[in-house]
Amino acid sequence: MRFMIIVKMTPAQENAVQDPSSFEEMGKYNQSLVDAGILLAAEGLTGSKDGAIVTFRKGGKPSVKDGPFTEAKELVAGFWIIQVKSLEEAVEWTKRIPGFADGESVEIRRVAEIADFEGIMSPETIAQEEAMRDVLSKKAN
Amino acid sequence: MRFLMMVKIDPGADRGEVRRSDLNAMDEYNQALRDAGALVAVDGLRDSSHGSRVTFEDGGAVVKDGPFTESKELVAGFWILELGSHTEAIEWAKRIPFANGEGVEIRQIAEDSDFENIK
Repeated sequence: MRFMIIVKMTPAQENAVQDPSSFEEMGKYNQSLVDAGILLAAEGLTGSKDGAIVTFRKGGKPSVKDGPFTEAKELVAGFWIIQVKSLEEAVEWTKRIPGFADGESVEIRRVAEIADFEGIMSPETIAQEEAMRDVLSKKAN
Repeated sequence: MRFLMMVKIDPGADRGEVRRSDLNAMDEYNQALRDAGALVAVDGLRDSSHGSRVTFEDGGAVVKDGPFTESKELVAGFWILELGSHTEAIEWAKRIPFANGEGVEIRQIAEDSDFENIK
């Protein structure tokens, strides 16, 4: 099973200056995920000032709002995607993330697999999805 | 430049059933991204009943299991795109076949060069 671990911060935490040693600790943690053979992706996001929100409405054009999102209660700051056997395993790995102790919250969500869409997607769409994923994974390797 | 486009939905809102026509439209959109050479990854997330939240406090990590019923917005899926500019990311986002109150947050993914002045 794949899980997405989403790091959430407040707008104030987003702007905090990071201690260089925190990168070393995070590097070690990421290496432990690599060594366990479970890391699929690990990325950080730049501040929300570089972002935008597009909202879709019935019968109308999408509206665009530029960042920073200062009024947001929480902002995504980064994410991991890991491949493990259970949610419990994902939680155990999450608890080991270094450098968080100040109310930072991390959300763990299961990534949908093609099998989750059987009976909802048409077989043709499922076949197209699988073909697309093949191409993407080849590109990544 | 790489961008993360996150789909955010209000889990309390009645969004109706997923129709095959919606999925087909999304598939066409994803193919267009792929044909443009912009698609790095696209995935949907299972609803939050399959998830957990870990909050880090001074005393340690506190785990709360889903569903996160008190949340006003939850991530429902995402794309990772490789594009030339922020403007291009917004143009692609506008073309997503949504029309039901969905919000899509576009965020730039940090590259190694973004950390050079910190390290």
